[in-house]
Amino acid sequence: MNLAALDEPISAGTFLAPDQKSEAMLKLLTCGSVDDGKSTLIGRLLWDAAGVTDDQRAAILHASHARAVNGERIDFSLLLDGLVAEREQGITIDIAWRYFETKRRRFVIIDSPGHEQYTRNMATGASHGDLAILLVDARHGVKRQTRRHAAICNLVGIKKVILAVNKMDQIDWSEARYRAIEADFQAIAGNFAFAEITAIPVAALTGANVVARSAEMAWYTGPTLLEYLERVDPKVEPVDAPFRMPVQLVLRAAGDFRGYAGSVTSGAINVGDRVVDARSGLGATLRRIATMDGDRLTATKGDAVTLVLDTDLDISRGAVLSEIKRRPVNADVIEARLVWLSEKPFDPEAGYLLRTATDLTPVTSMSVSALVDFETLASAPAHDCSVNDIADCRILLGRATALDLFRDLPLTGNFVLVSAIDGATVAGGVITWAQTGAAAIGDNVLVLDRARLAGLCADLGDSPADLAEFERRAQEVAILLRSAGVPVLIETDQ
Amino acid sequence: MTALTSHLKLLEAESIHIFREAAAQFRSPVLLYSIGKDSTVLLHLARKAFWPAKPPFPLLHVDTTWKFHDMIAFRDRTVKELGLDLIVHTNHDGLARGINPFDHPPSVYTDVMKTQALRQALDTGGFDAAFGGARRDEEASRAKERVFSFRAAGHRWDPRLQRPEMWQLLNGRLGKGETVRAFPLSNWTEADVWRYIMLEKLEVVPLYFADLRPVVERGGQLLLVDDERMRLLPGEQPQMRKVRFRTLGCYPLTAAIESDAADLDAVVQETLSARVSERAGRLIDHDQAGAMEMKKREGYF
Repeated sequence: MNLAALDEPISAGTFLAPDQKSEAMLKLLTCGSVDDGKSTLIGRLLWDAAGVTDDQRAAILHASHARAVNGERIDFSLLLDGLVAEREQGITIDIAWRYFETKRRRFVIIDSPGHEQYTRNMATGASHGDLAILLVDARHGVKRQTRRHAAICNLVGIKKVILAVNKMDQIDWSEARYRAIEADFQAIAGNFAFAEITAIPVAALTGANVVARSAEMAWYTGPTLLEYLERVDPKVEPVDAPFRMPVQLVLRAAGDFRGYAGSVTSGAINVGDRVVDARSGLGATLRRIATMDGDRLTATKGDAVTLVLDTDLDISRGAVLSEIKRRPVNADVIEARLVWLSEKPFDPEAGYLLRTATDLTPVTSMSVSALVDFETLASAPAHDCSVNDIADCRILLGRATALDLFRDLPLTGNFVLVSAIDGATVAGGVITWAQTGAAAIGDNVLVLDRARLAGLCADLGDSPADLAEFERRAQEVAILLRSAGVPVLIETDQ
Repeated sequence: MTALTSHLKLLEAESIHIFREAAAQFRSPVLLYSIGKDSTVLLHLARKAFWPAKPPFPLLHVDTTWKFHDMIAFRDRTVKELGLDLIVHTNHDGLARGINPFDHPPSVYTDVMKTQALRQALDTGGFDAAFGGARRDEEASRAKERVFSFRAAGHRWDPRLQRPEMWQLLNGRLGKGETVRAFPLSNWTEADVWRYIMLEKLEVVPLYFADLRPVVERGGQLLLVDDERMRLLPGEQPQMRKVRFRTLGCYPLTAAIESDAADLDAVVQETLSARVSERAGRLIDHDQAGAMEMKKREGYF
């Protein structure tokens, strides 16, 4: 842990006010091409900012000596590469999570792999970041993989990026070279929705401008990496976002208690406010915000609470509770941009499910319209997509579900695409357009419901296991029908 | 200090979210309760997640029969006070074969009495998901693990085939034969756990606090003589030293540290200033390089 925390005594004092919550913890993604030195940079940050314990230090010194990389220097990457295969091959395969704190802030570092084949792991990491450090090697500048990572950071909603120009020691601390790389990146960043880009020249191996200010780069007057990280405000959200709470579960307890449990994904709600179930359009008044620590009068973004309403809306998991005025779209057709994560390419005839905040909706049909070219960062028309691609697509849903646009409300506007066959997460995406009613494309859509599949499912009852089995069989039938060219909708009782 | 404690509220909400997602998506979850400080926090968060209802799953303790006596007493009291269902499982086949921490190397003992025992208990109970208190800050291979960690048939973990986990979305749809280990405390650190115990005034096993206890020094580690089964080497004589534990497991395999930290305040201060990582006291992790990853591949937590 850290020594800095000792300066201030721990007290069982009150928590910060809600608007200060996100100040306390910063989730930080590190990415960039392989060999640009990500693991080394993070190792250096941990080493210099006291995130490394004595036995870990001893183990790293011992292992560095054994591998004799970097001459006599410490191999900081050993702090991050935790899997046996990673240590053997000297590469990062999967994201690593590391934690440290300074007097000002608690940090979560998400170190992501640079190899193109592990881009899906990088996308996983990026989606959890408040902020990204994009690393480039000062000798090579911005590469294809740098552009790909920038595009994925942009896709998953990261708004602030640090361009860390690493290995400055290898180019004689050249300001001209650094400025050229910075200008290069600013030029491609025009393709993205980043709110702030901060370039910092560093040398992870020597520690220059990581925690300690570099003596060799007097021309650089901006903050060191740690100075910036301690001060940056990652929030770029509007103050007056509409209230949303996707329902995770319905909790029932003694005394006729019935509450909707979930995490508030945006906005705030007060006892006495009207809320609406976006799918049915039914409204109710919020009577209680129940927690084990006592009832509250208000709940805001990030709070995990249980809402008790004055009338029973008869809703379940998958519903989204919303404020009255600005509601989600009850959509059955969406357009989205996604990153394909599965080794199996997109197959228009495969069965997919759309996993949104808490809902799981069968996909009736899906088509790819364009792919992002990582050289030009422009979209080009396409119909296929495969692993590590960023694609634009159109998805028809088997039934309507409550959604927002990602650029407005990220946590009710994102999704993962799930294989109906083996449950695998095949893609992660953001909703760019959503509409109601478009999927009811006419009378020639075959609806697969309990009545139509009565013979096939004669052995099934109403238990949760049987409902799941019904859904599985319906998906299988839908796959066969779709491959024969019949448009299909699945109706489950859930 | 507010900046360093307010993040606990974020962590708490994140953990509750994970508990609820798992309970909603899995047919038959179970909470692995190992009695230590992490389990204490895990159980507390589970109660918060489903309050005013009780957690909709039982607790499971894999008892090697070599746990500290104070741990078992604490377990039984906690379960009784909170009115929870507890399943205790021991690998009786291993017991019958005489597997014990003195005659067998830690890797063999752990495999039989912990890993195999856990697999038996999960298979017998038909559980498709197990909550665990593992934290990513504990050890290098844990730092790589997902919140929903999928295990193939036979409970094997393949670190190269982890399911992508994006944003707050947890996909719990199982493939054939798959089960899940769910880790609500993934983003907590040891310091967070102690601070939270302090803020929430949670009771923990007394072994975490310094007291005079009979110990022997062996290979630079202090081992507690918890009962008459402790085998003393020639010349070893138990002596009373003021010690406490940072982590709790099987007493012959868990080293104590010398300390004067006799209450929660002192323990938190000592933890925040510790220069050695927590698992340094776990003898089973030092057995071989990549020891934890190997255990996990075999189905250990």
